[in-house]
Amino acid sequence: MFRFQSLDEDCTLEEEDEGLVEEEDEIDQFNDDTFGAGAINDDWQEEHKRLAELDERDELAAGLSLGGGGTLGGEPDLGGTQHSSSSSSSSRLPPSAGRLPLPSSLPPLGFSSSSSGLPPPDVEDRPGDGDLAESLARLILEADPAIAGVGAAERPGPPPGPGLSGLHGLDQPRVLQQTSSIPHQHPHHPQLPPGPSASGLPPGPPPSSMLSYQQQQHLMRRGTAPMGQMNSHSIWENSMGFGPVSVTPGLVTHMEDSPLMSIIKEVGLPKRPPQGRNDEGRDLSERVPPPRSSSPVIGSPPVRAVPIGTPPKQPMSHALNHQIHHPTAVHVRAPVQHRYPTPFPERLSPNTLLNIANSPLCRGPFPPRVGPVLSQIQRAQLLNSQVAGFPRGGPGPPLLPGGGGFRPFFGGPPPPHGHRMGPPPPHGPPNHTPPIRHNTTHLHPQHRRMLTQRMQSRGGDRGRTGGDRRSRDPYSNLMTQKEKEWVTKIQMMQLQSTDPYLDDYYYQNYYEKMEKRQERERDSSKKEHTTKLITPQVAKVEHTYRPVQFAGSLGKLTVSSVNNPRKMIDAVVTTRTDDEEKREKQVWNKRRQILYTVEKMYSLLLEVQDFEKRFVQTPEEDRDALVEQHKSNTEQLCSSLMEKEWEDRVSDEQCVMIMSVRKGKRLISRLLPFLPSPQATAVVMAIARNLPALAKKDKQDQVLCWLVEPVSTVIQSLSSSSLTDLLQELQGSEGQLATVLHNKFGVTLLYLILSEGERMQSSDPNCQLMDDNRWTELVFSVTRELLSVPSSALSPPLFTPPNLLSLFSRYVDRQRLELLQDKLQMSALSR
Amino acid sequence: MNYVPGTASLIDDIDNVASCLPQTGSIVTDYNKHLVLLRDGRTLIGYLRSIDQFANLVFHQTVERIHVGKKFGDIPRGIFIVRGENVVLLGEIDVEKPCDTVLQQVSIEEILEEQRLQQQTKQETEKVKMQVLKDRGLSIPKADNLDEY
Repeated sequence: MFRFQSLDEDCTLEEEDEGLVEEEDEIDQFNDDTFGAGAINDDWQEEHKRLAELDERDELAAGLSLGGGGTLGGEPDLGGTQHSSSSSSSSRLPPSAGRLPLPSSLPPLGFSSSSSGLPPPDVEDRPGDGDLAESLARLILEADPAIAGVGAAERPGPPPGPGLSGLHGLDQPRVLQQTSSIPHQHPHHPQLPPGPSASGLPPGPPPSSMLSYQQQQHLMRRGTAPMGQMNSHSIWENSMGFGPVSVTPGLVTHMEDSPLMSIIKEVGLPKRPPQGRNDEGRDLSERVPPPRSSSPVIGSPPVRAVPIGTPPKQPMSHALNHQIHHPTAVHVRAPVQHRYPTPFPERLSPNTLLNIANSPLCRGPFPPRVGPVLSQIQRAQLLNSQVAGFPRGGPGPPLLPGGGGFRPFFGGPPPPHGHRMGPPPPHGPPNHTPPIRHNTTHLHPQHRRMLTQRMQSRGGDRGRTGGDRRSRDPYSNLMTQKEKEWVTKIQMMQLQSTDPYLDDYYYQNYYEKMEKRQERERDSSKKEHTTKLITPQVAKVEHTYRPVQFAGSLGKLTVSSVNNPRKMIDAVVTTRTDDEEKREKQVWNKRRQILYTVEKMYSLLLEVQDFEKRFVQTPEEDRDALVEQHKSNTEQLCSSLMEKEWEDRVSDEQCVMIMSVRKGKRLISRLLPFLPSPQATAVVMAIARNLPALAKKDKQDQVLCWLVEPVSTVIQSLSSSSLTDLLQELQGSEGQLATVLHNKFGVTLLYLILSEGERMQSSDPNCQLMDDNRWTELVFSVTRELLSVPSSALSPPLFTPPNLLSLFSRYVDRQRLELLQDKLQMSALSR
Repeated sequence: MNYVPGTASLIDDIDNVASCLPQTGSIVTDYNKHLVLLRDGRTLIGYLRSIDQFANLVFHQTVERIHVGKKFGDIPRGIFIVRGENVVLLGEIDVEKPCDTVLQQVSIEEILEEQRLQQQTKQETEKVKMQVLKDRGLSIPKADNLDEY
């Protein structure tokens, strides 16, 4: 509409003749195409004839206008021409009546209607150039076929030509009446006899924008029988949504005369599928209506297998097309609502996206980025929709024929699926031609289901010899491929994980162990693998939260979200001055400090422990970095145990601190194997030294026993001197040994040391253990203590090394040995 | 033999999946039925047509099979939609497997009669038991079939 109005200024209506000439030139330009979408398949000879006739009429009109152009300033009298030429027009029309002129071409013919449709005052206001604009406006409005159709009223006046009788059958008899009556269009006011105008006319034409696009299309379709030929080629050329002027030659004559028609030509008329096909008694319900975009989907043939007669089913995409391809189009109506509510929105989008992707003019309301985007899902769906129509003949189970479509989406889907997909198609019935694969993504699921079922049932009838059992069951495929994918997708999405070791640690480890176990049990010849769960493999995508920012603005937006919540309470830290509370707090702080240290060390430790596993998994390039990190981790761990000042001695204090917490003890037990030998020794020494204190703290938990294993490993690697030192430490202060003996761990530790010493002595005769008397003395003191301690107080150890007796036999006399034996055995038994 | 997680593994079972190869020449109609055991103890056998992520099942040409002792009876039921939470177990019936059961099929009336008798005896024994316990001052709360929270 806006275009029309803009022409107000452009049009110089005073010079009709010149205008005519211009239009002729324009006409030539527009009809430049010889082939393709632009060309019109009509007979040029006929067109020429009509043009010639038009020229004659023009002269006639000119003559008439000159004669009668009283009131209208230089404007030809339309009314006069109307009446004069009505007869001629009516006589002319019969030949062309067979080709029903499009209502859209009627616009110029609608002048009479325009006049009639206008409120009377306007009619009287004709004279004067000032009204030229008005009249033009009216003209433009009327030129709109919709308005012409709607606004027109029954006009008894101008006799409907004989050719019109055929037209009466159409929807818009009023329009057609005017068609006949106005062969000659000029942008001028029709000077009609008041009679016709006074006939009860409906109020002025509704604004064109009110008329839906569909109605217009409807109009188009009605008068289409003979036009099928012309439009056939252009229906599928979706690159031109508003095609080239697809109007009858009969109308061309009228069109040429008016600048408006040139507008229409430029903008184009909505396409009119040939009506003729619909009249034939064909079963159209089986055909897949093609999507408006005929761009070939990946791997599928162009959608031409369907007869052209099927009307498009997607007015929405049609409108979309127009929007894209003629962004300046005037005739863009409010898009018609989709007939079916789409449960799966993506059903539409592959199509829409394709439209966008393949439109030659990628400008317009859509940003260029939208172009090539076809998400994996949609691509998979498209692929599958192609396959959906294919009968799943063959013996294999109908595995997700989306097996093919799945691959782009998931890294997972296993080869077995793939190779099973292979056999079915070739196994299909030999004499069965595969049905046409239609792109059915845009259809309603119900529709698609029916289509596939029908096709399959037909395929089944034909392909019985191939054993296509599945297709004979009429209830199969109730669940469409899409739905199956959807269910599977839901399940798979829940398993998506960028870091399986983090998300599902126990599952991963368990399965690894199982696999290792099974591989050990089986021969290598048996290449059987256990059933494995298919999990999607998703690439790691780092999502860093960046708060909303606008470029060029001062300051930042204060937007609160999940990641960035608004501050609700202003928490202010107040220190209490109470002494007692201070002390309590200090204690708590200390504890927290310890826990914090323990936590930090734990995380380092875990990384160190996982190093091996990670090492195997990372690719070659990253391995060095991993090693580096590992080293730094271990160093950090070590340093955390060290004294702050000395840097090379294990801090007793720190150790004890850590060990005072349950978790700390576990930490140390796990940490010991990873520490370098001197450090480990030092730690064990520290433990021994502080054993009473630790034992006291451990009374409840008995977690110290966890340390036995790593400690024993350390002890076994000790040198004789360090062993002696250790033993000494254990006995360090007075009464320490007694407490040691009270504690299970202590006793175990003691025994470990002793047994290690014994082992050393017995295995290596050159052992330095006996070099100084320390060892012997220590052992003596131990035995003394052991004997003196009441057996009830003696805590049973975790285990008694067997060679203790031989140790004692070296140092003590028989009597004492027996006593010791009793004691130890007793303690061993009483466990 | 890798499998998809959850109810998605049922996708392959939908419709008539016959995993056997066709015999020479003859058209073997091997339709695999599924058997589902529900929480209330019913056994349904039918063609599985559709599923969703909750394992809601759509059964076609369903038959409810009642077992009493060594006898069983089939009651045709038509189309069943089973809510996923009521499924105890679900499995495919292998048509190929030789059917060497000792079970004897009887008519519907007979099996229903048998079932009624079975229920009756069960109730009577239960009653007797409760009475005996009551006499001794004990009581065992009856655990209902359905969950009670």
